[in-house]
Amino acid sequence: METTMETQQQAETLLQPWRERMQAPEQNRIYVSIRPDELLDAVRALHDARWGYLSTISGIDPSGEDGEMEALYHFCSGPTVVTLRVALSREHPATPSVCAIIPSASIQERELIEMFGIDVVNTPDRSLLYLPDDWPEEIYPLRRDFDAAELVKREPRVTKPAEAEGETFVVPIGPQHPALKEPAHFEFTLDGEIVTGASVRLGYAHRGIERATQNMNWTQNLYLLERVCGICSHIHAQAYCLGVEHLAGVEVPARARVIREIVAGLERIHSHLLWFGVAAHEAGFDTLFMYSWRDRETVMDLLEEISGNRVNYSINVLGGVKYDITPELTEKVYKGIEFLDERVRHYLNVSTKDTMFLQRTRGIGVMTKEQAEELGALGPTARASGVLRDIRVDAPYGAYLDFPIEPVVATAGDLETRFIIRLEEIRATIVMIREMLENLPEGELTTRMPRRVKAGETISRVEAPRGELFYYIRSAGGETPERIKIRTPTILNLGTVIVSAVGHQFADMPMILAGVDPCFSCNDRAVAVRSADGDSQKWSWERLRQYGIERYR
Amino acid sequence: MNTILSLGAILIFPSGLFLLFNGILYEWLDKKILARQQNRVGPRWFQPLADVTKLMVKEEIVPTGVNATLFNLLPIVAVAGPLTAALYMPVGGIGPLLSFQGDLIVTVYLLSLLTISMGLAGANTGSRFSLLGATRTLTQLFSYEAPFMLALLGPAIAAGSWQISEINEYAGSHLLLLREPIGFVIAIIGLAGKLELPPFDAPEAETEIVAGAMTEYSGRGLALFHLGRSAELVLGLTLIAAFYLGGVASPLAYLMKTLVLLLGLAGFQALMTRLRIDQTVGLWWRYGSLAVLVQWLALFALDMSRGGIFS
Repeated sequence: METTMETQQQAETLLQPWRERMQAPEQNRIYVSIRPDELLDAVRALHDARWGYLSTISGIDPSGEDGEMEALYHFCSGPTVVTLRVALSREHPATPSVCAIIPSASIQERELIEMFGIDVVNTPDRSLLYLPDDWPEEIYPLRRDFDAAELVKREPRVTKPAEAEGETFVVPIGPQHPALKEPAHFEFTLDGEIVTGASVRLGYAHRGIERATQNMNWTQNLYLLERVCGICSHIHAQAYCLGVEHLAGVEVPARARVIREIVAGLERIHSHLLWFGVAAHEAGFDTLFMYSWRDRETVMDLLEEISGNRVNYSINVLGGVKYDITPELTEKVYKGIEFLDERVRHYLNVSTKDTMFLQRTRGIGVMTKEQAEELGALGPTARASGVLRDIRVDAPYGAYLDFPIEPVVATAGDLETRFIIRLEEIRATIVMIREMLENLPEGELTTRMPRRVKAGETISRVEAPRGELFYYIRSAGGETPERIKIRTPTILNLGTVIVSAVGHQFADMPMILAGVDPCFSCNDRAVAVRSADGDSQKWSWERLRQYGIERYR
Repeated sequence: MNTILSLGAILIFPSGLFLLFNGILYEWLDKKILARQQNRVGPRWFQPLADVTKLMVKEEIVPTGVNATLFNLLPIVAVAGPLTAALYMPVGGIGPLLSFQGDLIVTVYLLSLLTISMGLAGANTGSRFSLLGATRTLTQLFSYEAPFMLALLGPAIAAGSWQISEINEYAGSHLLLLREPIGFVIAIIGLAGKLELPPFDAPEAETEIVAGAMTEYSGRGLALFHLGRSAELVLGLTLIAAFYLGGVASPLAYLMKTLVLLLGLAGFQALMTRLRIDQTVGLWWRYGSLAVLVQWLALFALDMSRGGIFS
């Protein structure tokens, strides 16, 4: 607990000039209200002292009469979150760009511009990140006065494809490409086989989930948020539950807490094995890909035994969990993870000894500790570069308070290390699951949860398989949330790819991309088709329905 | 009468239908063996045939900005090369139909036609994946071709002839695998390079450049390239079996020996990670060429000790 106090005190000292406007509603949470013109000073104070990393920027446009627009800059260091609140006028919301201090903030500032229409002064890139290319100007989906009907009436925006500069050879990867099973668009500029530049465009699976949460009640949102990601569905639901339960002041029974983490552990194993297979495939080692995905079925089966589902396990409810782990199930889980432990040991052997495979991983895509810290790398990507960032260790939540885990860290920072880290993490998770099953507390699975959640705001951080998952939840005291901001780990890890890609062989790109275990669809939370003449095919619900009926007649 | 025989040789055996069906069958075997090693079920026996048939009846799209003549001609050249080469080879265990002194060199060049047409086909289209693929295909050609050819010339030196039929006969009484083991290994790895099989599949690395030089091809053109490659698989195996595994004097010997080689080739693919193109080139020039030169030195030494150059 000593380090806990340290980071909080450090932050308080660093933000001394704004002491009067500082609030600490609970331990490890500091909110500082500042004016836009003071923002850069505050950010610089934190950055120069190397205090934590910029976790996310979230905008908010509350519905109340007196509510004012705000941009919240969340900085995290260990267990402490410092939130700089910048109040903005609704007539002309403007805030300075922090990119001069933190270059990787660019992606988040692009989001702020397109979602809220906040003028981020001096930001290097104003192009759309998530929204379709023909999204009408001056329509901001997360503003409280957003009206979908208005959207259809407006003229589509005309975006001209960027003119190629001189003799550049640009290779597009995605959104439909065999290398990426996920919808993202990368453009790599090549000189021969060497990459000289890289850029990213997201949003091909943008589903407007953050906006949708504002129209659904607290329980409905659980099922919506579970569908943010198809690989780590549980962890999204859990982050949401933890936050809402915290806001409502509900204490979850001990047994439910442990069951949540057992499922989270199984999910981590499944996610890492999936990644392992994909990464092997990117390197052209299909035999390893086939074997690891065969073994992954074991953990999928276990999850199905527990919850009845393979992908969206839907084990969480607000105030506890739905399914119990019976003694018979416990036996099955033991057996399954024992088998997996043996297999993972074999895979570790392959990924550290196979000479051909090492040619594609050792010393490739190296990210130094300094870079990882600077760019805000998260999860296994950061831990492979010697930066210990693991919310389960830094700010234990749920069952991790009773079952402390041993983090896996290495320093080399290349692809090989990322393989080792993730495989070792599977083994550590297996140990953790065994310990939790042996000491599964008796008791209830759920507790009563009120329909309305007390007004307030909270930050919920959990460790997803890919790194820190950040939820900002605000309630106005009603049946629906006022604002939910989701920041998936991929968005920060992506910044590391764009930086480390330059100078590498093009053949290494799929591997380097896969190295951070990207999950773009979770990032993208109405898809329109991009075409050369700037026109898009927008289909109304009726037309889509009619098409479906005729297609399958 | 003679015309009918010639036509038969070109259309039915050893070239033409026989070679194509043989190729399709061996391609299936290769896929099946690979799949079983990767813990998959693998395709049914007629899958490659169904693929080719389906492609043949599909529409062929000629992309804008290409030289249409070249675009349509190259697949034909790609399949014609191996089919012509088959006339000089003991395909099916029945001695070559045509034979002349030095036909080995002609054959090796005919076998390279497929790769060259693929490279040109990729460079002909404007697709960036195709261009990268074409560059890699041709780069790879220049890296494995010399060692592969030297490895095939080893047995020719031993037999004292540049005629495939004579080498085949000579190999029938001398198991050259034991005398030139390095040459054999280089030849079989060279064949994997020629056919762009793992670990030498960088030119068509699907996770980077989709299908490489073939990306823009569809329908008939793609089917012809496909057939050309299947035929080349058979011819490559035949050549190595004839030179190194004691010759192919009968259909049974042909079947047994090529199948053993195919099994080895499939196992080789299952174990390997794809090499980057720079690694492929490095591997061939740094180790492949050197190894085959060592083999040649050993041959010369052996020859000298027996007194005389190529006695």
